[in-house]
Parts: sequence; C-alpha cells; structure tokens
Amino acid sequence: MDAINASDLIRLFETWKSLFAEQRDFLISLDGKVGDSDLGITMSKAFAAAAEAVAAEGEAAGISKLLRTAGATMARTAPSTMGTLTATGFLRASKATEGADILGTGETAAFWRAFRDGVAERGKAKLGDKTLLDVLDPIAVALETAAGSGEPLAKALAAASDAAERALEATKSMLAQHGKAAAFQEKTIGLQDAGATVGHFLIRSMAEFADS
Amino acid sequence: MKKFLNDPVNFVDEMLEGIYGAHKELTYVADDKRCMVTAKPKAGKVGIATGGGSGHLPLFLGYVGDGMLDGAAVGGVFQSPSAEQMYQVTKQIDQGAGVLYIYGNYSGDIINFDMAAELADLDGIQVKQVVGNDDVASSVVGEEHKRRGVAGIFFVYKAAGAAASEGLSLDEVTRIADKARSRTRTMGVALSSCVVPEIGHATFSIGEDEMEIGMGIHGEPGISRKKLAPADKVIDEMMERIFAETDYKQGDNVAVLVNGLGGTPMEELYILFRRVAQLLDQRGVKAKHVWVGEFATSMEMAGASVSVLHLDEELDRLVAAPANTPFFKHFAS
Repeated sequence: MDAINASDLIRLFETWKSLFAEQRDFLISLDGKVGDSDLGITMSKAFAAAAEAVAAEGEAAGISKLLRTAGATMARTAPSTMGTLTATGFLRASKATEGADILGTGETAAFWRAFRDGVAERGKAKLGDKTLLDVLDPIAVALETAAGSGEPLAKALAAASDAAERALEATKSMLAQHGKAAAFQEKTIGLQDAGATVGHFLIRSMAEFADS
Repeated sequence: MKKFLNDPVNFVDEMLEGIYGAHKELTYVADDKRCMVTAKPKAGKVGIATGGGSGHLPLFLGYVGDGMLDGAAVGGVFQSPSAEQMYQVTKQIDQGAGVLYIYGNYSGDIINFDMAAELADLDGIQVKQVVGNDDVASSVVGEEHKRRGVAGIFFVYKAAGAAASEGLSLDEVTRIADKARSRTRTMGVALSSCVVPEIGHATFSIGEDEMEIGMGIHGEPGISRKKLAPADKVIDEMMERIFAETDYKQGDNVAVLVNGLGGTPMEELYILFRRVAQLLDQRGVKAKHVWVGEFATSMEMAGASVSVLHLDEELDRLVAAPANTPFFKHFAS
C-alpha cells in the first residue's frame, strides 16, 4: 500500500497485538537474562489493550486521535519503564500526525521521528547505551531519507526495517547503561537488547503490513 | 527483625487504611487508596502533588493538607507509584489553575511523573514540575542534577504550599518551589539499616561501632564508612560539606530541619541540633525556623539528616506561614 489510513491503522494495531502475543515468551526469556523478565508481559498487555481501544474508537477518529488513544491506553495498562516509553512514543507520534488523514512516507517519517525523540527524552538514554533508542534512531533516519527521495511507503518501510535489523544486531556488542541490565554490564555483551528487539518487531511488522 | 505486621504483602494498604480511618480530611480517588487527595479542595488554587515510594512517613502522604500539598500518589515500599495513579491525583486536584509536581530525583518517579504530566496535558491541565535534589552526598558540585532528593524536599513543599495558599499563579508557585529547592542542602548519616517488610532482613550491614556518612533514604551506600564518632564530631563533618557549597553571610537567616530516619530518639536529634546551632552561630547565621523530628524516614533506620534552607525575605515569609496537615501542624510565626 502507498499509505496507511485510519482503518488500516486499526488493523495494524491488531497485527501488533498478535505479534506481541506470539513473542511474549521469547521476550520474557530475552529480558530474563539481564532484567526482571516482565518485558514480554508488558508488551503483550500494552498492545492487547491498545488494539482493543483503537478498535472501539473507530476509524472516524482519524490517525492522530487513534495514536493518542493507543498511547494513553498503554500508559494506563502497562506502567513499567518499557510500557511508559512505548506509550510516550505513540503519544508523540499522535502530535506529529495532527491533521494528517493518511500516513504516506513523509507522515510515517514524522511519526517515527517523534516516537524516537519522545523515547529519548523520557528515557534519557544516549545512542550506544544499548536501548530501544539504538533501533529507533536508524528507523527515523531511514524513513527521512526515503521521504527526501520520494520513495513509496512500502519501500521506505522495508528500508527502515532493514536498518532496524542491522541496528539490533549491533546492540549485541554494546554495554548496557540503563535500567536493571546496567547492573549486569559485561554479561550483556553478546546479547541483543530486549528493548531494541521490541523496536525491531514494531517496524518489521509495519513494513510487512504495508507490503501486504 | 521484629515488626508489627500482618501479611507483609498488605503493608502499604493496611497502613493507608489506618491513615484514612484516623484523618477524615484525607480521601482518595479512582477507587485506589494509593491516590490520596485532600477532602477539602480550594477553588481556584494551584494544586500541588507529590509522590514516591512508601516507607518514608511522614514524607509524601503526611503533608497533604492546608498550606502544603493537595495530593500524593504512593507506591510500594521504596517503589514509584504509576503514572496512572499520579494522573488520577492530578485530575482530581486541578482547580483550573494548573498543578505543580514536587518530587525527588529518582528515575522511576521521574519517568512516571513525566508521563502523568503528558496525560494531564492531553486533558488540557497545565502541569509544571520541580524535582528535589538536596542530597549533597549523592553527587559533586557541578553535577547537582544527579543528586537524590531527601528530607529537604519538606522545605520545597512548605514554601510552594504557602505560595499556592496565597493564591499565586502556577508560574509563581513553580518559581518559588524551584528557589527553595536550589537553596536547600542536606547531609545524612546512618547507624543502622532499613528493612523492607517483604524482604524481611537488613538492606545493608553495618558494624555496631560504625556509621555511614551520606547514605540514601533507601539504604543506598554513602560516601564514607567510619568508626562512630561523638555527636558533635559527626555534625561537624556533615555541616562542613554543607558550608563548603553555600555562601551564608554574617546576618543571614536559614531554616533548619534535623530529621530522624525512623530509629533514632528525639533526644539524640536535639543533641545533633545543638551542635548545628553552635556552628551556625559561629558564622553569625541565624537559625530562624527550626524543626526537629521525623519528616522523611527510611523505615526503622537509625540515623539522621540535617537540611538547611538559605532564606531570603520571600522564603522567610512562606516558611513561616501556617500549615495544617495530619503529620505537620504549624502556627503562623
């Protein structure tokens, strides 16, 4: 598809809900190595509640309002650090897409730029700290580049997904600086970051959705 | 460790049931006892909210009342409340003039209060934030933004609460809170550890003849551990660090808070204050407002902290203003 409209967005949340339900145990085990293993529970809960809330809201609400509902719902249902960061991402994406009827490449780039900046601001992590941000940053950059050269949405998202995959791989060599993982520093070497994994899942499934 | 408990899991909720039973001027919202608000909101006044982990009474909940705070969200022992709980408190206490959050510099609290502010903003409620960072021991000069908030936040509540009661705007109340924050310094010393009820044993171990200078109110390590010295020597060492980064001049006024951490008798706190007063006196600085007692505790930790607020005319007036909360009563002075 060339653009995501409000009705598509509701279906995209449904896709994310299934994805995090499927990946729940994988994320629990990934997080359990250096964290408190609640990530799989947090994400499956957050997206289940968000998908339900945006479906109830309906497409007439429009893109921005749906994203706001998703973010606010996540903040309420999953108040752990990752839940709050993801919620912040969607709330900021909501602000960045105010007035947009569809998400074309340009709007999608604005969406992920705002998502990235919101997570960076709230989580206070820097690039290279081995967090979600290390994947969100290349996503935003890839989409902005694609928007600059007028790429269609599906192609732009595919490029962003590839960039995210490489960035996730790169987190394996980083030393954790934030959250509970920071206490394990050296032990985190060789492991992909759990939060960054969530970022990769989000963009990969958005790219697949746009390609279908 | 001996404690009065039923099931440790119910520690916070049973404590809250006791507080609501004893103090009818307090109530809660969202069907959640951890979202405390005043039962007597004042129309048009800037709302002030705080929050943080349980285990520090009277800190947080205890200062909800006239002349201080309008609401507080509390979490489990030493755990942040959720953004949702803070947001519920915010919605309830907003009287159209906006809400100021005053809380300590801890990552869980920051992320959740920040999120609550964003949710409130979506509802059109204006929220400002002032983050207490008075603990001199927790980071060096120049890195004050990394410092923890401890007992000195009491002065921020007091000044901001009085300003809000005078009917000042959100911007003004925020300015005053920030001024009180930036002029407050605290140093602490621990003689024994705290015990988290659900854990049931000491958070850290310390010898019978040792003291930990500069520990945090959750049992975070301090800057030095040494042989316990006479009370005057302990205060000399603590006040030296406070004096080193303040510019008190002869004739200046300060407010002093000598705070017990939960396991130290009042008598000993007054012995500590005696020395604080002597040291201030030697510099020609007047301790114009003095409070000695328990204001921010750490469960049953034996130990104390000293907080000093460097007054100016405005802060002097606001600190002196009356306040009436379940745990803190003050007549105009």
